Amino acid sequence: MTAIRLTINGTQIADDVPARLSLADYLREPRNLTGTHLGCEHGVCGACTILVDGEPVRSCLTLAVACDGCQVRTIEGFGSDPVMTALREAFHRRHGLQCGFCTPAMLITAHDLIRRGRAASETEIRLGLAGNICRCTGYTNIVAAIAEAAVAAAKGPPDAE
Amino acid sequence: MPNEAWGIGASLLRREDERHLHGRGEFVPDIKLPGTREVAFVRSPHAHARIRGINVPSDAARRVFTAADLPRIKPIRVETQAPGTKAPLWPPLATDKVRYVGDAIAACLAPTRAEAEDLAALVSVDYEVLDAVVAAPRDMRGSRHPVHDGWGDNLFSERVFESGDIDAAAGAADITIQREYRMNRQSGAPLEGRAVLAYRDWRLDEIVVYASTQTPHTLRVALGEFLGLDLRRLRVVAPDVGGGFGPKARLYPEEIVLAALALELDHPIRWVEDRTEHLLTAAHTRDHHYKITAYADREGRILGLDAEIIVDAGAYGLWPQGPYQEAAMAARNLPGPYAITNYRCRASTVATNKAPLGPYRGVGRPGACFAIERTIDEVARALGRDPVDVRELNMVRPEQMPFTTVGGMRFDNGDYPQSVRLCAQLLDLPELRTRQRQGESDGRLIGTGFASFAEQTAHGAAEFVARGAAIVPGFESCTARILPDGSLVLMVGIQSHGQGLETALAQIAHHELGIDPVRIAVRHGDTESTAFGFGTFASRSMVMSGGAVARASRLLRDKLCQIGAHLLQCEVTAVRCADGVVQGPQGSVTIAEIAKIAHLRMDGLPPGVDPLLDATATYEPGIGTGVFSYATHGAVVAVDAETGSVELLDYAVAEDCGTMVNPMIVEGQIRGGVVQGIGTALYEEIPYDDHGQPLAGTLADYLLPGAAELPAIKIGHLHTPAIATEYGMKGMGEGGAVAPPAAIANAVRDALAAIGAEVNETPITPRRVVAAIKKARERSPQVRP
Ligand code: FES
Ligand code: FES
Repeated sequence: MTAIRLTINGTQIADDVPARLSLADYLREPRNLTGTHLGCEHGVCGACTILVDGEPVRSCLTLAVACDGCQVRTIEGFGSDPVMTALREAFHRRHGLQCGFCTPAMLITAHDLIRRGRAASETEIRLGLAGNICRCTGYTNIVAAIAEAAVAAAKGPPDAE
Repeated sequence: MPNEAWGIGASLLRREDERHLHGRGEFVPDIKLPGTREVAFVRSPHAHARIRGINVPSDAARRVFTAADLPRIKPIRVETQAPGTKAPLWPPLATDKVRYVGDAIAACLAPTRAEAEDLAALVSVDYEVLDAVVAAPRDMRGSRHPVHDGWGDNLFSERVFESGDIDAAAGAADITIQREYRMNRQSGAPLEGRAVLAYRDWRLDEIVVYASTQTPHTLRVALGEFLGLDLRRLRVVAPDVGGGFGPKARLYPEEIVLAALALELDHPIRWVEDRTEHLLTAAHTRDHHYKITAYADREGRILGLDAEIIVDAGAYGLWPQGPYQEAAMAARNLPGPYAITNYRCRASTVATNKAPLGPYRGVGRPGACFAIERTIDEVARALGRDPVDVRELNMVRPEQMPFTTVGGMRFDNGDYPQSVRLCAQLLDLPELRTRQRQGESDGRLIGTGFASFAEQTAHGAAEFVARGAAIVPGFESCTARILPDGSLVLMVGIQSHGQGLETALAQIAHHELGIDPVRIAVRHGDTESTAFGFGTFASRSMVMSGGAVARASRLLRDKLCQIGAHLLQCEVTAVRCADGVVQGPQGSVTIAEIAKIAHLRMDGLPPGVDPLLDATATYEPGIGTGVFSYATHGAVVAVDAETGSVELLDYAVAEDCGTMVNPMIVEGQIRGGVVQGIGTALYEEIPYDDHGQPLAGTLADYLLPGAAELPAIKIGHLHTPAIATEYGMKGMGEGGAVAPPAAIANAVRDALAAIGAEVNETPITPRRVVAAIKKARERSPQVRP
């Protein structure tokens, strides 16, 4: 067991974890944050994407012990974040999800694309999603939803207009 | 009147989205029960071997379970009434022999999966390795070590379908086209793999099994049968399921083993499949070989079709339908949407030392569509005609409906040729032909291809009885219950895992009762709360379960009107139920008021009317042979003749699925299906080597289509409501995946026309394209593009 301290969705946590425990398993099992999903556990499908120190990472390939001192943010940790709110709204309106298994990680990746200003065109969004597999939707509606949320986010919240 | 924004035909936004958008969906691996032990399986590394012994560490008693430790488990037995079929028994944990890489041998339990895998690594198995059967066409009539002892050959079944006079067609033909096609083995690969959590509920004296399945009720039936348990002692729950697509509509050994362990142990156990297990052991799909001879006249009219189909079905047949339906479905669908009159087809289902084959979106149809649609294009090319015209020429015309094909499919209605024209329009075919003539600046070759099909959906008893099925999923059920406050619960036997049925079924109840959809809950996937139903597969749930919801809602509506008329002091014939009220000539009473009386104030009920607003109905469509959706798909590709890479530039679907309850959901299903079909066409394959070792064990070698390599998919609709179903609905869940391999292969063929190369095998990988070009150039060295 190794002692770690980290911040998860704004809460400071001190814990002991086995050295081989992945961050995904740590979040899902002892921390019960089950919105982070596992589709392959070898870094390809992107279903486990979360933010560590603000950057998207594959939590299946990240060891929990390596996150000592890190800020971790999962789908449960976005509160009323305006970009995430716009994304959720757009995914709903554009039918950007079917089974919902890829959805939390899609949202986190999309959030990152918009934050970095990488959601300006369909091509850019599609390239940005290259690391997130969705087996259900065929992507068309996910891409449309992200484009729509990017526009909404650029405008700012509706009450600012 | 039902509200137009909520009822049939409205793109009502989905009820199921909210939880998933917040990461609050509940999939089996998300469910935590105190004391749960995780399970890892010891699996065979060999394709074919005799087990001489299994050595379990001496301190691992009650932590490692082999077949000998779970004597209650009976081998899986598939029944079939189809003549001439063999049905081997399948022990869920291997006893004397392993028959494919991944065959389960022992279940190992520990507090975490990692520790369970550590334990599994300590179990050693002594194998006597046998020759593996891997080449179905070569080994079907026999091999040194047949897959199943005591069979002289490796054939599960063989059938000849014959209609008309194929020899006469051959004699009358102006041209003969012969081709071999191959659709390789792949995985269904839902993003969530399989998962099972089981425990014993001592209070209710039952075993509760949470499973990532499309078919909770039939899974319960199977567990009862193979564990010798009364069904009253089994509850199966399918919570949120992260995609199914067919592979999760079958019984798996792991489900039986987990339920058996729950009977043995005083703590819950859970098995969550990892991706490698999924690629090795969850139902594989496709793996068809075709030999086709088509006879045609000089116009391109197909006079006859002579075919051989070999399906490589793997080692066992999955319960309940066994391995037989794939080849039979391919054989019956091979004549496609065409008015072909002479047909002969031998369809063989072969046992090999590979993972069992199961259903996957489209089942036998994508292979059949690939074979016939490639052949249509070759007929057109041989005659110098446009494949679009040859398609139209051969298609069943609207005035010929209903039409029974030589394959025995009874088409109900629709304008099939119109789908070809609409698809060509969506792609702007004339513009593409001009672009093609001009050539691309980057030197790549542009091609366009089409593929058409008619898809049997929502088939009832007649179809399954004709197949010789042991289980006949001919109906669905709904219990509709209005609660004391007037809100409504629909309890249905299907299982929604992405299809949006929690929304669409509520739209149907809204149509019948006028209740606001936010006051309607749809409960599914739990044998405890729903009447028996078969689950979600075969493009059936909207038609079947929607029909049951309609009927149960109408039963409630009649009772609401009866009570309402009494309260309004008028004749029942003078009231109608709409917009959440029962309206009479002089006034109205709300459903909530009636619901209160039916439950809490029975003194207000009319004489002779029982309390409660609770109705159960079943539904089978008016035609048991299915209602047929149809579509034409069109693909535009750019092929790099040097590297063999194929880029999809455009893709269009022109389709008709009758009445659409929720067009937004329909289009979502089409697009999702198309991309799965594109996966079959271009990327997905599980090859096996000569020793029966599967060569794709991770998503790094098993490629799934991603957003970056796909165009947006265009859709155009035609609208021919079915006659035999509620509201004119037709099923449509699978169609999207049927035509892409054919359309894309035809587009590649078109792009390579000047070279004379064709790729008749999926996936159309760069390597296969380059090989085809090389072969064509060797054949006619003078031709250069
Ligand atoms: S689960 Fe981490 S990338 Fe697939
Ligand atoms: S919605 Fe099912 S995997 Fe994306």
